[in-house]
Amino acid sequence: MHFQDLILTLERFWAEHGCVIGQPYNSEVGAGTFNPHTFLRAIGPEPWNVAYVEPSRRPTDGRYGENPNRLQQFHQYQVILKPSPLNIQELYLDSLRALGTDPTKHDVRFIEDDWESPTLGAWGLGWQVWLDGLEISQFTYFQQCGGIDCKPISGELTYGLERIAMYLQDVDDVYDLSYAEGIRYGDLFQRNEWEWSTYNFERADVELHKRLFDEYEAQVYRLLGLSTEKQKGNVLEWIEADPKKRLVLPAYDCVVKCSHYFNVLDARGAISVTERQRYIQRVRHIARGAAVAWYEQREALGFPLLKKVAEAAE
Amino acid sequence: MPDLLLELGLEELPASFVRSGLESLGTAAKELLAAHRLDCVSIETLGTPRRLTVFAHALPDAQPDREEVVAGPPWNVAFKDGAWTKAAEGFAKKNGVSMDALFERTNEDPKKPSTVAAKVFEKGRATADVLAELLPELCRRASFPKSMRWGAGDFAFGRPVQWLVALLDDVVLPFEFAGIASGRTTRGHRFLAPAAFEVPSAAAYEDALEGRHVIVRIERRRALMEQAIALAAGALGGTLVPDEFLLSECSMLVEKPFVVPGSFEPRFLELPEAVIVSVMRDHQRYFAVKGPDGKLLPRYLNVVGTANDPERIAKGNDRVLRARLADARFFVNEDRKQKLADRRPKLDAVTFQHKLGSIGAKVERIERIARHLATVQQLDASLVGRAAQLAKCDLESLIVFEFPELQGQMGRFYAEKDGEDSAVCLAIEEHWRPAGASAVPTQALGALLAVADRLDTLVGCFAIGQQPKGNADPFGLRRAALGVIRIALEGPIDVPIAEAVDTAIAALAHLDFDAAAVRREVLAFVSARLDAQFRGEYGADLVDAVLGAWNHGSLRDFRARLEALAGFRSAAEYEPLAVAFKRAFNIASQATGDVDASLLEAGAEKDLADAFAKARGDIDAHTAKGEYAAALARVATDLKAPIDRFFDDVFVMVDDERVRGNRLALLGQIAGTVSRIVHFHKLQPAEKS
Repeated sequence: MHFQDLILTLERFWAEHGCVIGQPYNSEVGAGTFNPHTFLRAIGPEPWNVAYVEPSRRPTDGRYGENPNRLQQFHQYQVILKPSPLNIQELYLDSLRALGTDPTKHDVRFIEDDWESPTLGAWGLGWQVWLDGLEISQFTYFQQCGGIDCKPISGELTYGLERIAMYLQDVDDVYDLSYAEGIRYGDLFQRNEWEWSTYNFERADVELHKRLFDEYEAQVYRLLGLSTEKQKGNVLEWIEADPKKRLVLPAYDCVVKCSHYFNVLDARGAISVTERQRYIQRVRHIARGAAVAWYEQREALGFPLLKKVAEAAE
Repeated sequence: MPDLLLELGLEELPASFVRSGLESLGTAAKELLAAHRLDCVSIETLGTPRRLTVFAHALPDAQPDREEVVAGPPWNVAFKDGAWTKAAEGFAKKNGVSMDALFERTNEDPKKPSTVAAKVFEKGRATADVLAELLPELCRRASFPKSMRWGAGDFAFGRPVQWLVALLDDVVLPFEFAGIASGRTTRGHRFLAPAAFEVPSAAAYEDALEGRHVIVRIERRRALMEQAIALAAGALGGTLVPDEFLLSECSMLVEKPFVVPGSFEPRFLELPEAVIVSVMRDHQRYFAVKGPDGKLLPRYLNVVGTANDPERIAKGNDRVLRARLADARFFVNEDRKQKLADRRPKLDAVTFQHKLGSIGAKVERIERIARHLATVQQLDASLVGRAAQLAKCDLESLIVFEFPELQGQMGRFYAEKDGEDSAVCLAIEEHWRPAGASAVPTQALGALLAVADRLDTLVGCFAIGQQPKGNADPFGLRRAALGVIRIALEGPIDVPIAEAVDTAIAALAHLDFDAAAVRREVLAFVSARLDAQFRGEYGADLVDAVLGAWNHGSLRDFRARLEALAGFRSAAEYEPLAVAFKRAFNIASQATGDVDASLLEAGAEKDLADAFAKARGDIDAHTAKGEYAAALARVATDLKAPIDRFFDDVFVMVDDERVRGNRLALLGQIAGTVSRIVHFHKLQPAEKS
């Protein structure tokens, strides 16, 4: 099974199980969770089922294309089922079967692995899924997103596509993966890894990234109509009282960019331990602003997807 | 005598959740059954990652009937002018008794008025009915380290609830919890027997599950697992590297244990064994295997939940381990590009605690304290500086960043490769000890650093107001103090505690804090740990008596006094002496000045003064040399009889002020000398009956 067939199989499987097939986000993200399909849609009462590939960037994980297992950019396959159905584990195992992996011939286990994104103010409980000792997926029941309690709860399934493909194709080096007929993963990404590793560790302009962080952060406040005055206990204070007038999606875009610039600065070794905490708090605060603005806007719109379900039920 | 079976079917629980879930369910079952008059013979808890099970064995068929006297309103409110009032009628109605059943009941407290009362009979209900009402509450009482919600519900539990089995023998107890209705349908092993099936009865439950590849009894599952891994280790020509964490963890990660052996390339054996063991344990939960020569074999044992195709499973796991070991080797090779000592400057940029500064600053303080301790105890201090400077350097290595539990071990490994003195290398590893209940340092150098490190943390945290409050002890100060105590009592060096605390305080001179108060608090904290450590074995009063006299000298001196006093406690003189000295101490607290021999009255008073004058020098000399048993023996042989006679024959509080003062001074001197050994007046000898 080529790498692209793995993606196609998952797309088909989840489409058949009622998911909207989404697309990757067109801005740099560390994980599929940052895609608004997950981060924003997990907030509020509206039901939502989606699946999509997410090319995910982890600047500190770069190894210049020399390590057979580590990449600064890899591919996640992300599934959100909201509310999480009671048979979500079975659905997940069925997706493995669809990939030709019969769990009874392997050792498949659900091992505790709670998830937390300090920058997104999000956390959940769940597992990593082991296939013969290899962590192939993350499985999370979202409890909070942007500091807001999730209700209902989203179930998030994240497949590590490279790892699963290496397992299925029985190769030890990620660059040896067959991506498509006649095309190796290395043909597409090995140079990419070297360039981005060099950029992230050595060449990225530190001052530029710091400035970009500051400016995109400032823009979030402007687009949301959010006061920059820090309130006690980080309470949000709105200058723009009308939720429909806040530009939530462009603002969230800027939050994602801030998060990415922070990751680059971190990889570049440009952030001290104390500064690090401060940067994380800054991103968390604007992520929370975007999350609350999203909730209030959807509420002001009457939670459209909830209405659809109600209409369908009539 | 039916049995109750409750099984909560769950999505995979972490090991710690299974333990806390079962413990809380067991406790709650006991409490709830007792509160509802359902006595059972025993309660058992069983469980796997997918199920928490409670048995209550041999319940009654019904609650026993109950008759009790219920008190109502005051008698004068219930019965007025020769007739029952509305209040009395209401009371009778509420309790379902007729008016003629009411009577006057005097209050147990004579100050309170008598009340109207009635004997109320309550018929015991059928156990099944009571349980059906009780079980939702029992389920609610399960507690976990963390709870989660799922789906659209509002329930919070350790993991989502999938099914509920509730049987009283073979009868279903109907109830609902977390949106799930109870029944008799459970499930077998997720992959080996996935079909749902019905449990015929509580008694048949365990066997029915075992037939479907679920060993629900934890001890049995663990025993089977241990047998299987021992067997597998033997088949590999080796023995298991013992690891209690893995044994307890792995037995909780599967419903039925299968063991699949795997292997890695022997070239990885060039890594320190501790690294290989950590990689296997932390990331993959594999057991390491040692060969007959005591060295690690390039093999491992993997406890899995499904093993239909062991070769395929081993191949997959081998691949994962190979990548992990390659990573570890990369880290070690990268680390070795730099000498350990060259990492020292980096520690200046790593925060220990923001008010207390960097780890580098801490290292400087450790060196200063350790040097001083070495000097005052006349130990070789020549290597202290080097060892202190290197002790924390491995914190900045890649491998320790990845495997924090290898701190110290890796420092030693890198120091050895750098050709550092072997005593320094060992001290780097040993200065982290004791960690929890583990062994203390074996050599003086590591022990000096260990003590200095812990005292610096202890004093530093008190200086910045971070002392433990209630149960909160974020810096592990209780453990740090206990570590110092254990090193002095079990390890190669003694610790003069007040001296050491003073040195640690001096090393923090740049901070603004009340040094006298911190000294007092830290010493009191250490005393409290000594008390906690020894009161169980020796008794609180003995520890108290020793703490008072010890005055925060050396820790070994504390124990020497405690042991001498404990030995003396069995002597015949112990109790009378304790009583006599307590008396002497109590009245002599008003004493001032010296004894005037000319004022001593012949007889008991003079005899006591003479006996004391004769023995005093020896007692003080024994005390000064730490020969507390000998000192106590002299007290017993020389002073017991005279002091008893003194108290029998002499009246201390006479009117003559000079005579009285002189007698008090004599007792004061005796009490002073004896109190330098132990504080007799703190002892609580058993009352003579």
